[in-house]
Amino acid sequence: MQISTHELKSKIIESLKLQDITPEQIDDDAPLFGTGLGLDSIDALELVVLLEKDYGIVIKDIEEGRPAFRSVRTLADFIAAKRPQ
Amino acid sequence: MAARSPVITGLGIVSAAGFGTEEVWSMLAAGASGLKPLTLFQSPRYGKIPVGEIQRDLIALGVPTRSSRSDKLGWLAAREAIADAKINFQNSGDRAGILLGTSVGGSYDSELFLATLIKRGKMRARPTRFHECSTTVDFIADSFGLYGPGMAIATACSSSALAIAQAAEMILSCEADVMLAGGADSLSRMTWGGFHSLLLVDSAGCRPFDATRGGMSLGEGAAILVLESEENARRRGAKILARLSGWGMSCDAYHATAPHPQGAGATMAMQSALRRAGLEPSAIDYVNAHGTGTRDNDIAETIALKTVFHNRVPPFSSTKRIFGHALAASGAMEAVVCIEALRRQELPPNPGFTKCDPAIGLEPVVELRHAPLTHVMSNSFGFGGNNGVLIFSTPETLPRAVVPEKIKIAVGGIGVIGPGAVVIKEITAPLPPGRGPVFSCGALDTTTLNPNQRRRLSRLQQMALITARQSHAPDPAQRVAIAIGTGLGCLEDAGTFIENLVAKDEREPMPSRFPNSVHNSPAGQVAIDQAARGMNSAPTVGEITFECALWQGISQLANGEADCALVGAADEVDKYLLSIGQRWGAWDDKIMPGEGAVVASITNAEKISSPLARVTAVKLGRWRKPFDAGREADWIASAVDLSKVEVFMSGAKGFRQLEPMYEAVAAALWERAGKKLEHQTYKQLCGEFHAASAFGFSLAVKLAHEKKCSMLLYTLSQRGAKAVCCIQP
Repeated sequence: MQISTHELKSKIIESLKLQDITPEQIDDDAPLFGTGLGLDSIDALELVVLLEKDYGIVIKDIEEGRPAFRSVRTLADFIAAKRPQ
Repeated sequence: MAARSPVITGLGIVSAAGFGTEEVWSMLAAGASGLKPLTLFQSPRYGKIPVGEIQRDLIALGVPTRSSRSDKLGWLAAREAIADAKINFQNSGDRAGILLGTSVGGSYDSELFLATLIKRGKMRARPTRFHECSTTVDFIADSFGLYGPGMAIATACSSSALAIAQAAEMILSCEADVMLAGGADSLSRMTWGGFHSLLLVDSAGCRPFDATRGGMSLGEGAAILVLESEENARRRGAKILARLSGWGMSCDAYHATAPHPQGAGATMAMQSALRRAGLEPSAIDYVNAHGTGTRDNDIAETIALKTVFHNRVPPFSSTKRIFGHALAASGAMEAVVCIEALRRQELPPNPGFTKCDPAIGLEPVVELRHAPLTHVMSNSFGFGGNNGVLIFSTPETLPRAVVPEKIKIAVGGIGVIGPGAVVIKEITAPLPPGRGPVFSCGALDTTTLNPNQRRRLSRLQQMALITARQSHAPDPAQRVAIAIGTGLGCLEDAGTFIENLVAKDEREPMPSRFPNSVHNSPAGQVAIDQAARGMNSAPTVGEITFECALWQGISQLANGEADCALVGAADEVDKYLLSIGQRWGAWDDKIMPGEGAVVASITNAEKISSPLARVTAVKLGRWRKPFDAGREADWIASAVDLSKVEVFMSGAKGFRQLEPMYEAVAAALWERAGKKLEHQTYKQLCGEFHAASAFGFSLAVKLAHEKKCSMLLYTLSQRGAKAVCCIQP
């Protein structure tokens, strides 16, 4: 089941303590890491925790998550595909 | 300029791969691994993953019981090293000291307190007594009678490489004849859960440099070298095992946990060590790599090796699969491996390696083999991009390190946060609810920090960043060294991380809190902010933490490795500190806990036109029991010209047990100086905390600058360390 990218953005903002930014300001396809939101490898690990806590998806190797962490849309697709039904 | 180099006359090692060099070498020769499933504590999520745990009964080996697990490991290594060197310290006076790398400290024991508290609702605070990283130094110094300089350095995985390097500086600058130098770290829930939260642990055990490697393996242990001046070793007829020819320290100034992708800092540290030893890269016969087995480290390190050795990389190996990664102890354990390799003329293998990684394109030594070895290098890299490199040589080689010249030191700028108003701080669950007055810095003005620094960094790191900026504007043309110490580190991050780990049985960890929990995280963040790539150190030595930072900064200026040093100390109050301190009766309505940060920029006095003040002496040591004020006055007079001093500034008005000692020293100094020195104190203004003497220093600089006063700053720690420094207009 597809999940709302708006909801996912809110969760990302909360989990990464992003400041001065609203879900509306994050483009679904903008890169999350590097230039985009300026996130780094520790933020990726926080997203790993978020995926397990809220969606029951366990990632044991950060390489597994790398393609999913490209943008909010890729992350939403990843969750929809991997989420335990 | 004279060349000298400290020599090594004794070795001690305790590890999962054995106790003592013989046991360790037979494991290593067989290419065996000491990794086994964890038994030390319950790990609901990761219990089956192999780890380098020491499973012997430590108490049965004769260690005094009143100590943390790290203390015990360090003590056993010290006992062995001392016996190996056939040395005793009865006639050493204050010429024998100790310098250890410790990063976990008493965390394992404190976690017992916390875990029981969370699961059962109450627990005695006794296990937290040995929480501090510096207790290992105090414990060993007291046990074996060491009254020279004593210091702990907490720069995560490079700690003991830095400790050995700084101990060498102490011997070169004649501040000690003998130093016990090394490191000790036990396993702990904190580091176990922490490295798992970073997804850095290989569930099959680490396989450094292998194509299929999947991360590190954690370990524990201790290793200690007896480091001596060559004169001292020859005078007492000691057997010289090896020479410490060079050492280099640097910082990536890149990221809290990730190494610089091209290994820029690692390259600098290796080059600095070669420069110090006066050796060409081609002279190195073997490199004991940091080689943790993580994807990033092994790639960055091999890029650095190719750069330093111009693509002719000497035989190298990582011994991490043998011991596990014993964090602060690993640099010293690998130093022992290097010295044994020189003694036996054998190259240590790299268990876990089977297949060459095309991204690396280099193969480590796979089997123990004979080789002629003269100079060998040991690499250690830590969180915060903190790098330490040591070069050991056979005893027959010539002394190589150049003795640093004495230089005059000036304070160029100073930044201070706190002391603020007295506020009431609440204590909340899982601790028994309560409240107490503290000297608080209040809310920090973080408007100048960037968004990532605001959202990610802890309060203590922010305090260090802001004060460092107040003291020094970043200048890419300068080589900047950093020594910013802390007595207890980022308590809030460490406490919250462990509390969450225990309460949720290792589910939903907090990966962004873990890197903040290491004591060098403030110094590491300042390095990134200031683009400071010189030495990056975090001394942790109770009440004299600041003075140790000052000593380290001066040492880097004197040996020509830095143009400027940012030296400081920072500590914070949190609910655990408040609650546990109240149980111990540490505070009352007159003596309150405090917090804050001070960073000073210091430089060679000849290179600065209008300094705030000059630092004309810094001396570190340990006081004897029973306390003898006359002896203290003599010790102070040996470092400071009393005829030029007007004010005696002490750490009095803090912990009650030190009060009569400070008063007695003040009286003895008046007698010694033949004049009455004005006795000033600062803890009534800032509260009692480990970094408080940094406030004393800032006050002394202010008085020297504004009133043209010459100040003597004298600090005692409850656990036996002491320091004196002289601040003049």
